[in-house]
Amino acid sequence: MQLPSQQVAVLEAANADEATSVDALAAATDLPPETVTGAVFELEDEGLVAVSERVDETVAPTDEGRDYVENGLPEVRLYEAALEAGADANPVSMGQVIGRSGLEGDAVDIALSNYARKGYGGIDSGEITADPDADPEADAEANALASLAEAGETPLDGVDADADTIDQLERRGLVDRRESTVREVTLTERAVTELMAGIETSETVGEVTPELLTSGEWEDVEFADYNVEADAERFDGGKVHILRQTAERVKDTLVGMGFQEMDGPHVDADFWINDCLFMPQDHPARTHWDRFALENPTHIEDLPEDLVDRVERAHKEGVGPDGEGYHSPWDEDFARALALRGHTTSLSTRYLSGEEIGDLEPPQRYFSVEKVYRNDTLDPTHLLEFFQIEGWVMAEDLSVRDLMGTFEEFYSQFGIEDIQFKPHYNPYTEPSFELFGTHPTTGELVEIGNSGIFREEMLEPLGVECDVMAWGLALERLLMLMYGFEDIRDIHGTLCDLELLRETEVTY
Amino acid sequence: MPTVDIDPDELRELTGSEEKGDDELKDDLFGLGLEFEGRTEDGAFELEFAPDRLDRLSVEGVARSLRYQYGDARGIHVPSPNSPDWTIEVDESVPDERPYVTGAVIRDVDLDDEALESLIQLQEKLHATMGRKRAKGAIGIHDLTMLKGRDALRASENASGDEPRASPATGGTPTIEYVGLEPEADRFVPLDSDAEMTPADVLEDHQTGQTYADLVSEYERYPAIYDDIGLFSFPPVINGRRTEVSTDSRDLFVEMTGTDQWTIDKMLNIVCYALSARGATIEEVTVEYPDHEIVRPDFSTKTKTVAHDRIETILGIGLDPEEVIDLAERSGLEAEREENDDGELVYEVTIPPYRVDVLHPLDVIDDLGRAYGFNDLEPRYPDVGTVGGRHERSRLEDAARNQLVGLGFEDLLNFHMISEEENYDRLDVSPGDGVYGAGEPATIKEPYSEDFTMLRTWVTPSLLMVLERNTHRAYPQNLAEIGFAADVDESENTGVAEGRRVGAVLAHHEAGYEDAKARLQALTRNFGVDLETPPTDHPTFISGRTAAVVIDGEEVGVIGEVHPKVLVEHDLEVPVSAFEFDLEALR
Repeated sequence: MQLPSQQVAVLEAANADEATSVDALAAATDLPPETVTGAVFELEDEGLVAVSERVDETVAPTDEGRDYVENGLPEVRLYEAALEAGADANPVSMGQVIGRSGLEGDAVDIALSNYARKGYGGIDSGEITADPDADPEADAEANALASLAEAGETPLDGVDADADTIDQLERRGLVDRRESTVREVTLTERAVTELMAGIETSETVGEVTPELLTSGEWEDVEFADYNVEADAERFDGGKVHILRQTAERVKDTLVGMGFQEMDGPHVDADFWINDCLFMPQDHPARTHWDRFALENPTHIEDLPEDLVDRVERAHKEGVGPDGEGYHSPWDEDFARALALRGHTTSLSTRYLSGEEIGDLEPPQRYFSVEKVYRNDTLDPTHLLEFFQIEGWVMAEDLSVRDLMGTFEEFYSQFGIEDIQFKPHYNPYTEPSFELFGTHPTTGELVEIGNSGIFREEMLEPLGVECDVMAWGLALERLLMLMYGFEDIRDIHGTLCDLELLRETEVTY
Repeated sequence: MPTVDIDPDELRELTGSEEKGDDELKDDLFGLGLEFEGRTEDGAFELEFAPDRLDRLSVEGVARSLRYQYGDARGIHVPSPNSPDWTIEVDESVPDERPYVTGAVIRDVDLDDEALESLIQLQEKLHATMGRKRAKGAIGIHDLTMLKGRDALRASENASGDEPRASPATGGTPTIEYVGLEPEADRFVPLDSDAEMTPADVLEDHQTGQTYADLVSEYERYPAIYDDIGLFSFPPVINGRRTEVSTDSRDLFVEMTGTDQWTIDKMLNIVCYALSARGATIEEVTVEYPDHEIVRPDFSTKTKTVAHDRIETILGIGLDPEEVIDLAERSGLEAEREENDDGELVYEVTIPPYRVDVLHPLDVIDDLGRAYGFNDLEPRYPDVGTVGGRHERSRLEDAARNQLVGLGFEDLLNFHMISEEENYDRLDVSPGDGVYGAGEPATIKEPYSEDFTMLRTWVTPSLLMVLERNTHRAYPQNLAEIGFAADVDESENTGVAEGRRVGAVLAHHEAGYEDAKARLQALTRNFGVDLETPPTDHPTFISGRTAAVVIDGEEVGVIGEVHPKVLVEHDLEVPVSAFEFDLEALR
């Protein structure tokens, strides 16, 4: 019969009367163990060898264990220091002995906790005594460790120490106990017969090489089989961050629905963030505990003067013949103060005002998926900075039904159906709704956004003469709904866990 | 959002709907925008409310809204107050910062424990919302029988002096005085105390005084209210103990001071409506300012003109005028059909005096929609055609990100806020020392913690922090971020230059300059820009293995092997090479 060379080598190295381990075969054939294992399985399939498996326990010293072999066990060092200090005669203060021993940090605790246990002496009220009869040379743990350090990884039954000592060393983290599967091979009768009849080596090659191809030799060779089922070495390719992927999906959806993307400053004047939204200046959300005001720089240089006047008038007097403003003071200096934007509605006000890309004629749809900053409590579901999905539609005569229809369409793209609308209050929209959706897997009713039709007190100063409906929601909320993440800090920010990011499935 | 506690049994009693189960009540409350959050220890509903309908901050107000919702009440009810007996005289010494006062007398109130608790909660919730934590308006409620009115006013003698108050004249209407008082000029026993204190002592030593000290501590004179016996209230901080309200109180004096007359008048209306719902009689009070006189509470209604067409376009449905009028009445409003000058159908809608949220006709339309039931409206996709598209900046960012991922980088997303230590010190740079990345910081006035005191001026510090956090994870760790960074730049309108940076780190046993350079070359080649890397010095990197990133002739970044002192600082035991440059350079 013909067999590939590795299999022939294994057959020749194996024995019919005595089991030979794979490692022994590897040594005898000068082949890598994994190649021998592959050949053994092939031969087993052919009925040429019998394979038995057993689990071997081995022990080996850890790095800490090796360190102690070199420098001595901490308790032995402590004992020796105690002897030097005369603690065999009279108790000596612990600090003195420790200082003399040269032990530091964790090693001190380790020494103290093993000292009395092993009969080197006693520790009482901060003083150490040493037993003059104790013999460090006979320390079973030290001796077992030393012999292991010399022998390296040793089968458990080959260690010259009792089981308790090994257990103790393992508990102390000085040795590692490992289990390994040992395969042993015996030739079958058939193999013996075939070997006597003579087995030829078939020509196999491992790699396709340029020489093989150019010489034409490839036509006459057989390629060695690989274990194609085995796991290959791990490879971590690059991947777009999962939150970015989610953002991309949201952007794709919105672009598909006819929305244009906005862009603008993260540090902005309160004027654009709040005043243009008809947020009264004494609104609780504008106080320091909700917002990140800037210490340096403090104020924006230019604001469009006409717009400032119109916004101030809307705040003070309202808009329209029946309008009334807020009964609150309005201060331009406060409006000019810089802060990290608390919502991306600051982009909407910039765009709607015409300041960003010129005056807009209806109909228009705009969106952004950008960061906002809130001085909230940092916890598994809240970050100080997170992505807000902001969207608005500008057209003549928009109704709340249009608003509802737009949301139903948007959220259905993410598998969230049965949107419910809870009438709500926002200073800058009327009517306003909180949106609730049913979680696709848990069935829970969760808040997924906030929406409404912009008030005339907001739109008129901005120079918008038609209706604008708008909404906002947290991208992280959507991500957590879609993936079931429990702590957003694992994903977003410098506390992130690379393993989690690497293991997370892609989204599409 | 704020919450209000409502006892469901009281709610059933006040709405006259004893048969309603708890779940049914919760659904009805959700319809009003009051979301059930849980129960208090006493079994009351804890309801989350949006801060517009401040007339619903007590069980009486919620019950009123439910009665409208159930159809048990329609239109507007205005209590008829009795004419004034008492007067509040406002002295010229009153602090300029808090010049306004209002008040009412409440007679024959039946305050059992629940009613008193509800009144105290209403007072607290009004303080927290409309009163802006008492800064804009503060409420004091007193037992009227403990007050002794006087009718001759000698405020000028006493407002700022140390002399004992002159004895009262007799006869005329009973009067109390709102004055400005020097911080140590008089003493009284405040609530929750046994000792006589000056207002200054209260701010210093009394717990409530310390809480609200900031509101008045800058004032030259403190707000104070006197009756014939003496000082009995120190608004907006604390009342005196003498006039404390208990379940035995039958008649009450309600006073409110603030920075805006409208605000305190509306707060007063809400309190009066709540007490009136419990059967009390409201009695007016005259407020005599130095130059004019008003009578409060002001239960006058106001009207808004609402166009029929606007109602239909906002709700997206057709309605008969009768339906509109019905919806208004079910919202506690009254609507009268009219025609405007252009011959269009409009409604004169009357708004009751307890409403504080109706600023515009739109707010009326919202009420009509709620009465109709917004969730009964059929959603429709708007018939509006627009063309969608991405912003160029975000397209560029995505294209660069895709290239980085193709080059084997794990894309990261880090915080924009960082500490000075992480941004500068741990990378061995200082603000303004002229090297790439070390710009002047835009700093945050009141940071959440010392970890987030400024906006990062470059992204390399964030990437090193991630490496530091993940030393137990498998290497190689090749990480990249295209992220926001900002620094102070006076030439910008906001004073801050914001931009996106392309940052990358390679961390593994053989990471070196060439690794980083190879990838930077690939990236710039894909964008068709010219890359040069002349040697430079940068404290973060090893000297002689650091170059400026020069793209199309302009210096836009840095590339190099990270200096061992920076690696050790971040507990890293592998070499790291890195580059960072301005995304705009790829344009």
